Amino acid sequence: MTELITIPGRWEFDYTYFAGEAASRFFGELKDSRRIMGVRCPSCKRVLVPARSFCDVCFQRTEEWVEVGPEGVVETFTILTAAFAGMPKPPVVIAYVTFDGADTALLNVLTGLDLSNISDAAHRLQARPRVRASFVDEPQGRITDFTFTLL
Amino acid sequence: MSTRVGVIGIGQTPYKRAHPELSSAELIWAAVDEALRDANVDIDAIDVIIAGVAPDALSGENGVEKTAVLGSGKPFLRVNTGGATGSSATFAAADYVASGRAKMALVVGVERMGQATSSQNVFNTVFDPIYEKDFPLTTITMAALRASMSMRVYGYTSRDWAEIAARNHRNALRNPLAHLKLDVTVEDIMNSPLLAWPIHRYEACPMSEGACAMVLAAGDVVGSRSVAWIQGLSSMTDSYAMGDRINRAEGSLVDLLTLELSARRAYADAGITDPRRQVDVIELYSPFSSAEAMTYPALGMCAPEDGPRFVQEQLADVSLPVFNPSGGPQAANPVSATGMVRIAECALQVRGLAGERQVPDVVRAVATGQGGATQFSTVCVLGAEPPE
Amino acid sequence: MAVADTPVYVEGIALNIGWHDATKDLSELIFDTVTLALEDADQSIDAVDSVVLAAHDLVDGRSLSSMVTAPAAGAYLREEIRFSDDAAGALVGAMTKLESGRARRSVVAAWGRSSEYNYDQFSQTLFDPIYGRPIGLNEFVLSAMRAQLYLATDHHKEQRTRASLRRDEAARANPRALKSGGYQSAAPYPLVAADLPLWADVAVALILSVEPAPIRVIGAGQSSEPYALGDRNLRALQGLQLAAGRAMTQAGTTGAQLDVVEVDGLTLIDEAMGLESIGFAAAGHGLEQLADDPRCNPSGGGAAGYCPPAMGLVRIVESILQLRGEAGVNQVAGARRAMATGSSTVAGQTHTAIVVEAA
Repeated sequence: MTELITIPGRWEFDYTYFAGEAASRFFGELKDSRRIMGVRCPSCKRVLVPARSFCDVCFQRTEEWVEVGPEGVVETFTILTAAFAGMPKPPVVIAYVTFDGADTALLNVLTGLDLSNISDAAHRLQARPRVRASFVDEPQGRITDFTFTLL
Repeated sequence: MSTRVGVIGIGQTPYKRAHPELSSAELIWAAVDEALRDANVDIDAIDVIIAGVAPDALSGENGVEKTAVLGSGKPFLRVNTGGATGSSATFAAADYVASGRAKMALVVGVERMGQATSSQNVFNTVFDPIYEKDFPLTTITMAALRASMSMRVYGYTSRDWAEIAARNHRNALRNPLAHLKLDVTVEDIMNSPLLAWPIHRYEACPMSEGACAMVLAAGDVVGSRSVAWIQGLSSMTDSYAMGDRINRAEGSLVDLLTLELSARRAYADAGITDPRRQVDVIELYSPFSSAEAMTYPALGMCAPEDGPRFVQEQLADVSLPVFNPSGGPQAANPVSATGMVRIAECALQVRGLAGERQVPDVVRAVATGQGGATQFSTVCVLGAEPPE
Repeated sequence: MAVADTPVYVEGIALNIGWHDATKDLSELIFDTVTLALEDADQSIDAVDSVVLAAHDLVDGRSLSSMVTAPAAGAYLREEIRFSDDAAGALVGAMTKLESGRARRSVVAAWGRSSEYNYDQFSQTLFDPIYGRPIGLNEFVLSAMRAQLYLATDHHKEQRTRASLRRDEAARANPRALKSGGYQSAAPYPLVAADLPLWADVAVALILSVEPAPIRVIGAGQSSEPYALGDRNLRALQGLQLAAGRAMTQAGTTGAQLDVVEVDGLTLIDEAMGLESIGFAAAGHGLEQLADDPRCNPSGGGAAGYCPPAMGLVRIVESILQLRGEAGVNQVAGARRAMATGSSTVAGQTHTAIVVEAA
């Protein structure tokens, strides 16, 4: 019987992602003004959040910026309950929230909810509760500058 | 004018967590050799090879498909559409044949993710690095976000999903190639560990390795071979951002709009007007049982609001299509190959070669593929009769 | 082999070679380039029913690039497929959709941003972890070994210098070439910096249609070489030879009837060998031809800016600009028929050749 050989490997690459002008402005608004910004598509008129420079449905450039939120409604969520390598320690809630004035929903972490009973927490979130964007003390100009908290 | 295309050869390795006894090239060869034998052709008869490999990061090999260059000198392409890779590769091969650029095409999907130490870590890097990658988005949490929304919107319960999962696992017991052979009850599934609310472990797919290969041929070279004709195929792509689809009037995040549109076109090509009666077998690319439920309305099985009722109906009504006789992706999910396996399983059913998992008298079967943030959908109709 | 006789035309093109443009994220760069190609074609996205892409996850730094990038290329509620190798192959994939009647008009787009990823890391992982990676192989090491075989005779020395001077000159004169920024990798012996490509950010798009337009694709050929490097003849590009032969057979043309050739190669030596493989230069005369013949790589080849897997499509677009008389200073007068090639990793394992003609 041949001994089967395995060879250890690493899979690591360095990248520099350009956020681009639109996302940079979105992040700048988070950092400097603690405001959530969207853009209105000139064609379908939807307010797209987070802001981006084009609407992929209409294949049109977007230019008009509008402030949304900071309150909104939980559309859907999950509570991460099992540990996976590279992922935050469970339990963690992530949710899509439609901010007031927006037509699309944005993903972020939801904090401040009692997770001692997962089923109770899920039940509460299934009722589409209203939430607010709560900012960290020192925003860095990243999507992690705020989380959703229940009103 | 388009040429008729049929599947004349199929080869599959067993699907399991890892194949440490085979190199990547040998894994490919095992499936290809079987497909060529089944088709009764030599590699020299093949005019083009299309390889399907999803993210390289899953195997930790960059361009593992190149080991599939067989009988060098042939046109060779790699397709990567994530979960839809296997079906997209098959469609690319069908296009080569239908265009007249090839008489016979070989497609091979290979998954080597047994080499990955953490697949969910890899899956996190498929998401937008600017706005979304900072969050624990993975294939599991993505499915969970949809599942919780479909509970709210359509009233599905955890029991519905456990019943679907139980049927898939039960079917897999008759499939010698399946990775997971779990003899589990609905209660066992509901009591299995919660991965991400509301998804339990036994409602999710495993990480599987394996390869699938098929030989596609133009109608005029099929000869007397056993064939499953491609009667219709269609693919469609959606927006990336899941948040953009939550409030969409044409179809929300849980309505699988691109699957519905693909099905509509593929059915029209195949002459299907009543899929509940005209289709005998459906092989779904649904790695989670909650995702399977979302396909029912998209495939014309029921109205969206009747989804939960259809879960019970398909378990009881024998006149409906048989879902996932192979066990589906919950029994084996070799990501790069899974979409191709759906088509291969349908072709085996149509050709009457599915062994213990054979459904009697299959005239027509439908295979789906799904990839990305449930963005890329494919539908393929296979039948015993050539298309009009 | 009989190919369905649906003629395929190119209605519009767009090419963007740049460097480190932080105003656009990757999807915005793609959106802008596809939008320009549609404008050039005078078509709306509504008239498009297929999108065919070539992009590499490890170049894009997104483990499933097309999730984020396909909608930026116009894929919303359209048929879309992504090939993960050189973009000239994707063009043939798009042709099969039109020729089989499955689609009538397709976007074909490809991109890669050298300023976002690290080529050398990418190149090392192309080699298998059992036999290749432990030795430290990368693409340039292979090109160097190939160059060593090719340059083994003295008489190439003067031609090599002239060919590389002309290549630089052509790239400087090419209005689409990268003029500032970019970088080069280290050159293993016997390669020198002037042989290497200039890493750039590239986005390219083309509108393919069954509706008659001034440019027609009259031939396409593809081929491949064995996986194992030791199984190949590194002194020749047999796969490219086969691909070019198939393309010319379909086009009903000979090399002598081509007015322009745009040959893709990772290095200057690879370009010279490519020129010989497609039959446009006699064996051993590729460098000489590159030095003296203005019909060969008038774009400046790899010196004009390079990033996999977009380059085959870049060569095709440069050829089309020649046929449209819009190539700029490097215009070949009266060009009516051209061949462009695209070669993939690893060391040109797969090849595509395309013949285009002014209708």
